[in-house]
Parts: sequence; C-alpha cells; structure tokens
Amino acid sequence: MSDLSQDPKGFIARFRALPTDSIPKTVFVAVTLCLFCSMIVSIAAVSLRPVQNANKLLDKQKNILQVAGLYEDGMNIAQAFSAFEPRVVELATGTYTDQFDAATFDDIAAASDPALSVPLTDDPAGIGRQSKYATVYLLNDASGALDKVILPIYGYGLWSTLYGFIALEENGNDVYGLQFYEHAETPGLGGEVDNPRWKSQWKGKMLRDPSGDLKITVAKGGAPTGQEAYHVDALAGATLTSRGVDNLVRFWMGAQGFEPYITNLQNGAL
Amino acid sequence: MGARAFFDRIEPLFEKGGKYERYYPVYEAVESFAFTPKTVTKAAPHARSFVDMKRIMTYVVLATIPCILVGLWNTGLQANMAIDAGLEPSGWRAAIAGIFGYNPSNPLANFVHGLMYFLPIYIVTLAVGGFWEVLFATIRRHEVNEGFLVTSMLYTLIMPASAPLWQVALGISFGVVIGKEVFGGTGKNFLNPALVGRAFLYFAYPAQMSGDSVWTPVDGFSGATALAVSASEGYQALVGHGITWWDAFFGSIQGCIGETSTFAALLGMAFLLATRIANWRLIVGCLGGMIAFSLLLNLIGSDSNPMFAMPWYWHLVLGGYAFGLTFMVTEPVSASHTNLGRYIYGALIGFMVVMIRVINPAFPEGMMLAILFGNIFAPLIDHFVVRANIARRAKRHV
Amino acid sequence: MAQTTKDLLVDPLVDNNPITLQVLGICSALAVTSSLQVALVMALAVTSVTALSSFFISLLRNAIPSSIRIIVQMVIIASLVILVDQVLKAYAFGISKTLSVFVGLIITNCIVMGRAEAFAMKNPPVASFIDGVGNGLGYGLILLLVGTIRELFGAGSLFGVTILQTVNDGGWYVPNGLLLLPPSAFFVIGLLIWAFRSWKPAQVEKREYKIQTAEAH
Repeated sequence: MSDLSQDPKGFIARFRALPTDSIPKTVFVAVTLCLFCSMIVSIAAVSLRPVQNANKLLDKQKNILQVAGLYEDGMNIAQAFSAFEPRVVELATGTYTDQFDAATFDDIAAASDPALSVPLTDDPAGIGRQSKYATVYLLNDASGALDKVILPIYGYGLWSTLYGFIALEENGNDVYGLQFYEHAETPGLGGEVDNPRWKSQWKGKMLRDPSGDLKITVAKGGAPTGQEAYHVDALAGATLTSRGVDNLVRFWMGAQGFEPYITNLQNGAL
Repeated sequence: MGARAFFDRIEPLFEKGGKYERYYPVYEAVESFAFTPKTVTKAAPHARSFVDMKRIMTYVVLATIPCILVGLWNTGLQANMAIDAGLEPSGWRAAIAGIFGYNPSNPLANFVHGLMYFLPIYIVTLAVGGFWEVLFATIRRHEVNEGFLVTSMLYTLIMPASAPLWQVALGISFGVVIGKEVFGGTGKNFLNPALVGRAFLYFAYPAQMSGDSVWTPVDGFSGATALAVSASEGYQALVGHGITWWDAFFGSIQGCIGETSTFAALLGMAFLLATRIANWRLIVGCLGGMIAFSLLLNLIGSDSNPMFAMPWYWHLVLGGYAFGLTFMVTEPVSASHTNLGRYIYGALIGFMVVMIRVINPAFPEGMMLAILFGNIFAPLIDHFVVRANIARRAKRHV
Repeated sequence: MAQTTKDLLVDPLVDNNPITLQVLGICSALAVTSSLQVALVMALAVTSVTALSSFFISLLRNAIPSSIRIIVQMVIIASLVILVDQVLKAYAFGISKTLSVFVGLIITNCIVMGRAEAFAMKNPPVASFIDGVGNGLGYGLILLLVGTIRELFGAGSLFGVTILQTVNDGGWYVPNGLLLLPPSAFFVIGLLIWAFRSWKPAQVEKREYKIQTAEAH
C-alpha cells in the first residue's frame, strides 16, 4: 500500500490498466455510481421538497374551498383560503384548544398517535382509532360574523376509507355541501360520490330535527313523507359505499364526533 | 324430398371451386340444420354413437323449455303485479298485452306479457350472435354449429327482462367473440360464452345488471332482489317482502327471465340426466360444495352479516343457483373432463357461490362468477387428476 | 449498426412495438390507461426514463463490469425514476396523485431494462437515446390508444372534456363501467394485438405445437 501511495501517478495508471471485470474496478464502479446517483436523488428530493409540501397544502385548501362553494378554476387558492380561520377542536368537550398550531395540525396523523387518540369500541365509520382533536375551518362573512364552518370527516366505504369535508351553515344544522377528496371506491358506482349532481343533493339538508334527534341519512329510494329535509338518495348500484357515507356522516355529526362542538357553536358558548 | 333435391342441386356451387365457395359454412349450417349431416370420419378410430353434437345441443335446448315457460309466465306476472299496484303500462307492449289485460291472476295474460319481453331479447341475441358466428365461420372456413342455439337460449334466459336491447346485443357480441371465437370456436372455448356475455354486462353496466335492484320491466318500479334483501336484512326478512320458500322454489319472484324457478330447472336437470348429457358427478359436487360450505358458515355465524345464517335450501332456490347448476355447471366443454375432476370442479363452484354471496359485500349474486371461476380452473384440475393417476399407476407397476 | 435514426425511431411504433409485439410493460398499461391525461403523462415519463437511461448506460457501457451490469442498470434507472417522481410531485401534483405508485413502478417496466440490456450496452449513446425515445413512444402510442378507448367509452370524455354526455349528468350515454376497471385494458390490448397482427401478418408468432389431425395419418 505505502509504495503505491508514494507514486499516485503510477497507481492511477495501474488501476486504469486493470481489466473492466477485475474486482477493484467492479468495486470502484459500484461505489462511484452509488455515490453519484444518491447525490443526484437527494439533491432533487431536498430542493423540490418545499414545492411539494406547498402542493399538498394547496390541494387540501382547494378541497376546503370547493366544499364551501368558493372555488373557481385558476383562482389564487392561498389568497382565497386566507378567509378561513383554522382552529383545533377538542372533540370530547367541543371547545377550541390552542395546544397545537392549527395551520399545521394533522388530524389523520394524530389518529394513529397513541397520545392524541383513543381506540373506538362503537365504530360505525370503521376507522379504528379516533383523534381526540380535529381541525375545523371557520369562514366569516364581511361583517365578521360566522358564515360557514367546515368539518373534516372520514370513514370506510366499500373498498377504501373516504376522506372529506362537510360544510355547515352558521346555525350548525343546515348542510351547505359535502365533498370527498380521497377514496378508492369503484369507478362509476361508489366513485359517483364525486358526481356533482349527487353532491348537490346535500345542500340545504338538515342534520337534526327541531327536537335535536340526528336525522340525516343516506338511503335508497325516495324519502319517507316528512323526512325530505333529512334524506339524501343513495348512489345507484352502490349500496355499500352509500351505507359507508351514511355511517361516517352520522358518526362524525353524532356524540362521538362534532356534536359537543356544534352544540357549543349554537349556544354561542365559544 | 323437394328440399333434399334443392340442397343437392345447389351444393356444387358451395364446394371447392364453386361460385360461392367462400360461403360454404353458411350452406352447411342450413343444410345440416335441416338434415342429418352426412360427413363421416375419414381415419381411425371410429367411435360410433347415435348422440352427435347436433343431438346434444338439441336436447339441451329441449331441457330449457320448462324454464322458458315458467320464465315467460313469471316475467309477465311480475310486470302485471307492478301494474296492478298502480304503475302505468307504456310503449308498444301495452298495445298488445293490453288485449289480454293486466290481471296477475290470469296466466294467459301473464304469459303474453312475458312473451313481449322475451321475444325481443331472444331475437336480438339470435341475430347479433348469429351474425358473429357466420362471420367467423366464413372467414375461418369452419362450420357454423348448433352450439350457438344453446348459447343464445341460455343467454336470453339469464338476461333481466328489463335489459335494453343494445346491451343485449353488446353482451352476446362479447360472449361469442371473446368467450368463444378468439379461442377457436365451439369445443375450444374454456369459458361458457353465454356467461362471458352476461359477465361483460354485469361489470360494464353494474347499476342496471348487478342484481342490486330488481328487474321488473315497468318504468318506475324499484325494489331489491331477494338476494339483496337477504344480504341486508337476513333471509328471514324475505317473508316480510312477500317471498316464501315455495315462491322462490316455483319461481314467482323477481329475477332474470328464466332463472327464478328452481322447479323448472330441476325438471330440465332430470331430462339432461336421463339422456346422460349432464354428468351427475358435476351436480353432486356442486350441491355438496354449496351445502357443506353454507352449513359451515351457519355454524360460524356472524353478528354483522346476516347472510352467514342463510341455510342451504335458501341458497338453492334464490338467484341463479339452480339454473346455473343445471345448464352451466354441466356444460361439457368448459367443465372438467375427468371423473374425479368433475367432483372437485363442482365442489369448487358450490363453495365459491356461497363465498361470493355471503362474504363479498359488493356482489349479492355469485353463481355466474363462481362458474366462470370454475371454468378457469377446470383444465388445471384435470391436469392434476391425470398426473395423480399416472403417478398411482406407475407405483403399482413397479 | 446499420439502422438509421429514422428506423430507430419509427420501427418500435408498429413493426417492433414493445407492447403489442414483445408484450412488455403490460402491468402499467393496465393501471394507468383509464384516462387519457394520466396515460399521456405516464407515456412521457416512461419515454424520458427509457431515453435517458439508455443514454447514460450506453455512455458507461465500456466501463460497466459485466458481473454487476444488471445492478448498475437498475441503479441508473431507479435514480432517474425517482427524479421523474419528484418532479411530478412538485409540478404536476394532481396527476402524480392519480399515478401514485405506478411512477415508482417504471423501475420494473421491462421495456426500460430491455432496451438498456439489448441495445444500449452495445450501441453508442446517441443511437441508444433515440432507440429509447422510439420505444418510449411505441409504448406511449399503445397507452394513448387504449386510454382513448377506455376514457371515451368508459367515462364519455377525452382529456376530461365531455364528448358523450353521460346519463348521470343528464345526457344519453350509458358509460361502460367495465372499461374503467383495469382488466378491460387486457381486452383492449388483446384486440389491438389482434388488429396489428392481422394488418402485419409477419408479427404472428410460429405455433409452438401443432394439433395432429385425423387425416394426417
């Protein structure tokens, strides 16, 4: 080794003279290539990370804008989204908490964090664990009064978990809209949860009747008389996806979900 | 013998070197439909039997007659009951069926009304499917054969009466071309062409075809099929929907045209067994598989899935089980060919049908998919049965 | 090689198409062809990966020891695929969400490895690059054909623009749901292969066996 290093020129020349298939050259090629490729890959990953994260955020904001009926093609999403005020809600008490930064709190990640979530025994939405906290988005009108509130909802359909948002009017009872941003239901059947015609049914439906019973339901066939305001027609040919949507909406609007929060909202206790 | 003389006179035109040589298959089809084929085997071995393919196919069509008759009556019955309950009849059918009235207790009125739905579907099936058959026969220079008569009849019987005719045409096209002709035609198809066509429609137009809501062909009617009711509320709830076991057995329930009546299918089965066209091992295997697996599921039970509790005698009478068992499982080309293989093949289908009905949440009916699944495994089953046989004999020899 | 640039580019489109003749790259062709837009992006991604990997591998072809050549090819291809994936995530987020895992799976696309091993290891960089582009385009051509059929008849639209108004949106067209499911691509590709081979009988493979007929005795 020592005499080789004394004569670097000779070392390189000797190395170059080795056949391509020799062990030193094989190792040399492998190591150099791996170093080089890993550098390229990490440079790309690191330099593109901010753009990618911004995209993810924009995607979420776009969905919130859509469910609130504010989205238009080509609009400045970030600017439009600034009208919303994100707040983290403690589900059990229905009050806001400032423990977390609402702009970055991740409900879905929190659901698998043992410190932030509870296992469910009564689990109609099929989600297993539920986060103790959820991010809600408040939209105020020009005078600063509450106009709409957007609540995150998710649950199991036929093949996949559907993730979405439900938008409620300021009274906390009238539905403004419902939208799923991620699911893998059968295209053309359960996938029709994305169909604008189906989604438009939700607008103006009421969650509860005047006595406070949770009445909203997704079911086949027409609504029973007197129940039209609480009835959303199921998707044609997608019994189980519809049942999943029914379960998850009723779960999140019920006592285990946002009921305490909505009650506080209605009483002006917040 | 005017017709014979006519055929003899024009035959040279279609033979090699004749003016219409290309169209020989068309000539042959018409001729052999009218007369016993005069072709003879040219080389050994000469196995002789009075049962040729033409006769087998004719017998199968004969065996479907009970299903056709009950199907016609029931389709009309369901439509008339819906009209009786207050829905308006509409379209050209109203003009003809109106003559006999819409009284559900009048069998003739039901029968005629049913015929109004059966005939258009059957005619479209024959015309479109026949077109593909003749086209391929002409291009490939093989003969059109009677197998298509069976395919088209079975296909019509497993159609919902409310199926739009363009869907019927699309389905049979897919069934004949992809299910049969791409593999080389009758006898080389490893799948049942009628079921391939039906499966195509099932996946292509699931909202109309999956058996989720029913197929009574009156506009505005909606409800759930017996299997869909069982899946959501349990089979005990069927009585509440006006369906008793005997209704399901005789076939006065909602369903595809010819598959509702277990009784009619059993009559057909008896005929096919008596003429030795259906192999009894297939039927025993399929019944055994279905009964064993549904008993097992009864034993396991489930709180959330009421289908677990469905007893085997309900599985037998609901959906297309009996019809599929009689006409599809026993279909000789796509079934296993070894005796041991036939038990296994039948049992596999029986097992799969219960599996799909009970455990898969998306599909209320599983007979079609189970049979296609069995079709795919049939050659493999035969392969292992033959291997095992060779191994056993080799051991004995040493 | 006696092949001209034009040959390298045009030959894989029909005469030597990687999908219909060599039946490679089927897995992704099933998964990403339900809409044209996604198929187009996938075609571009595969074309750029095939072309660039062929180029770099050809550049290094004399230095790559044969004992580790497959691994070296894999490393180069994998790096390029990760690059493409990162770029898509950054600049075409919506599409990268639909393509999801299939961009990553370009690594396992036999066309890329196939061209690297069969062509780039024996030919100069520029020719390899063009060969890669040609094969990528051949793959893309089939993807777009299948995508056109599937999206038009499965959803009634092309590139998301409604062509046939579907019943659910108040129109007349009943979309064919089978075409939205991956297995339908099998049928469509099968029918395409059938059409290609009827058009160019030279592509028909020799039978591996012959069924003996009774007359042959």
